[in-house]
Amino acid sequence: MIKNLLVALPLTLALAAPSLAQEFPDRAMRIVHGFGAGGNADTVSRIMGEAISTNLGEPVVVESRPGAGGTVASGYVAGEDPDGYTLQLMVGGHAVAAGLYNELPYDSVNDFTFLSTIGQFPFFVAARAGEYESIDAVIEAALADPGSIVIGHSGVGSTQHLTGELLGLQTGADFIHVPYKGGAAASTALMGGEVNLIIDTGTVISGQAEAGVYDILAVTSADRWPDAPDVPTLNETVAPGFDVVSWTALGAPAGVPDDIVAILSGAISDALAQPDVRERIAALGANPGASTGAELQALVERQIAVWSEVIETAGIERR
Amino acid sequence: MIDQFLLGLSVVMQPQILMYAFIGVFIGQLIGVLPGIGAITAISLLLPVTFYLDATTSMIILAGIYYGSQYGGSIASILLNLPGTPSSVVTCLEGYPLSQDNRAGLALFVAAFSSFVGGMIGVAILVLAAIPMTLIALRFGAPEYAMLVILGLLAASLIGTGSQLRSFAMVVLGIALGLVGADQTTGYYRFVAMPELADGISLVSLAMGLFGVSEIIRNAANKRPSGPALSIRMRDVIPTRKQARSLVFPILRGSGFGSFFGALPGTGAAIASFMAYAMEKRFSRTPEKFGTGHLPGLAAPESANNAAAQTGFIPTLTLGIPGDAVMALIIGALILNGIIPGPRLMVDQPELFWGVIASFFVGNIILLLINVPLIRLWVLLLRIPYQKLYPVIIVMICVGVYSHRTSVTDVVLTLAFGVLGYLMKNYRFEPAPVLLGFVLGPLLEDNFRRAMLIYRGDFTIFLTRPISAILVTCSVALVVFAIWSSISARRKTVRPPS
Repeated sequence: MIKNLLVALPLTLALAAPSLAQEFPDRAMRIVHGFGAGGNADTVSRIMGEAISTNLGEPVVVESRPGAGGTVASGYVAGEDPDGYTLQLMVGGHAVAAGLYNELPYDSVNDFTFLSTIGQFPFFVAARAGEYESIDAVIEAALADPGSIVIGHSGVGSTQHLTGELLGLQTGADFIHVPYKGGAAASTALMGGEVNLIIDTGTVISGQAEAGVYDILAVTSADRWPDAPDVPTLNETVAPGFDVVSWTALGAPAGVPDDIVAILSGAISDALAQPDVRERIAALGANPGASTGAELQALVERQIAVWSEVIETAGIERR
Repeated sequence: MIDQFLLGLSVVMQPQILMYAFIGVFIGQLIGVLPGIGAITAISLLLPVTFYLDATTSMIILAGIYYGSQYGGSIASILLNLPGTPSSVVTCLEGYPLSQDNRAGLALFVAAFSSFVGGMIGVAILVLAAIPMTLIALRFGAPEYAMLVILGLLAASLIGTGSQLRSFAMVVLGIALGLVGADQTTGYYRFVAMPELADGISLVSLAMGLFGVSEIIRNAANKRPSGPALSIRMRDVIPTRKQARSLVFPILRGSGFGSFFGALPGTGAAIASFMAYAMEKRFSRTPEKFGTGHLPGLAAPESANNAAAQTGFIPTLTLGIPGDAVMALIIGALILNGIIPGPRLMVDQPELFWGVIASFFVGNIILLLINVPLIRLWVLLLRIPYQKLYPVIIVMICVGVYSHRTSVTDVVLTLAFGVLGYLMKNYRFEPAPVLLGFVLGPLLEDNFRRAMLIYRGDFTIFLTRPISAILVTCSVALVVFAIWSSISARRKTVRPPS
């Protein structure tokens, strides 16, 4: 018995080292995210985890490490082994955090291996039905009487909040930005008439819009959104050049070997080609689509620059 | 309304759907009993399962877990002083003394029955008055919430059984603990000693530590070899006719509070059960019995939090707006099924809408039916010697707390709060007001500052908005009443009747 083990051990080691990629994955993987169980990030992680697990034949465990706008999870992932078994579900907030936090324990770009986007989604600007004719009317009213338009948002430093600040900066309108605990609470405030506008995702807004409770005044993407072709963009109306699209993506700690990156990217793009996965991602309001790691990294770098400037100019407290 | 409810019943009565309703409430019940593991954890783990079920079934099973866990939560509170949710904190106050007094079976029965009545009244309100309740809930803006919390804090300052000053100090301690984390209005970090605290102290850590862990430390220090000898005869479980009669109005009042506050998005259930308890105590002829295992003090908050668990679905179903994290998850399951929740849900998906509501009706009956026979089993649990039971419970608490945020810090904090709670008990400070301050303090601050932001620092807003004005009036009346009754009490002692 012992003799057998002695023979087997070096053999195993010798076999394991060079052929890492052929055997990857040979045990459970996990997707870490920085938000609450059951939130959007959690749901997307579970959808992707299930698809990747089917594809690669090993279980994928979803691990929620919420805290400090997702930075607790990012810090944790940045310090894990880059063996491909620890993945991170990243959201647009990853780019925001780079500008919002004073002392992040990690570098938002260099400490990560970027794998692929999962989906991209714009925000919509909504008001109670019939209150404003168009987004132009809102901006006119805001310019005529500074401070008269109140925008409810889902939390200080959220992408929704910064998008509202950016709209104010680009149009010169002086909005009052009021924080709520999450998009649903802001939406309740809009319904109750406490705020004039909200800027949030399709999942928060479209149910009310379909019921005729809200008018969708504009979309934040540069081009009209395929699912809502009638909604004008901010870019074509009040704020030329306006382009805000948030995203979900998968990343890993920096230094994952190229052959493992290739396996993971392949599994992700296969998953995103499956109709049922696409359907679920789309149901969450996003346009599903894989990208290369380089494209994802470029997106993150671009958004870090934009949001850092908005945070600076709007005078938002850094943490 | 009734026709549609019958349509819903016909949906639920299909054997397969009935089975899912049963599975939902049963899992919820089990999850609720396990200390520290909440409905959120269970629902998020089960979410992928709902990919393979249709929308109605998904809703029924997930909702069942939610209100089933409310039933289960009171069991751990009564038997072991382990509140899993803020609303079951109040259950501990009377339930645990009853259990220590060898009347655990009675307490469990009263809790189950009050929960059942509360749940049913909540369902009735949901069927009959969902739309008007929605309209009222929508009129609650930041000023109303701020004033509601003040009323809640005032009412609950009467909760403590000891001195008012001590209980006030504990509320302040709770508020201070609630300040830890990012300030919601500016994002500024307050008392964030380590990044894990950026989102604040976990409520589960605080509640489990102050109540459960401290109790275990206290019993360990007492060196009591085992639990009390227990009676589990059915005769001792069912309340006497006289006891039952004393519970009718507390249950009805509790259900009323719960139904109303539950429909407000936010922390409705917790406020409702604290308020229900405080009101029972305030207007009781025997306030001194509260805290010693007084049945009305158990029945009122139990019916309140279960009524609130049902009416909590009002904003979720009528507006598509989740009142709390659990509701958000349930809405997530709908979205994944391709249904965008919103005001049109009732019209576009009547079978889903009414089927889910009817499942609450059926679910509450199932819960009562599985709860009463299980009482014997739960009470038997207390026969396990403490030295064998407690290590298991401590491990379960740690696992449960860890599962919430995957954070070791939370586990350490729970044990630290346990020590704090032990010291507090030794110096006769009560833990319930700490929890109350912890839950309500941040709610008051956020809403007050939000109101000031929206109305540009105009204080008169609290008096010019009608609902806010009513709440201010209630608060003032409560203070005046408290002063008046203490003065008249003093007169009585100063001038004894000749």
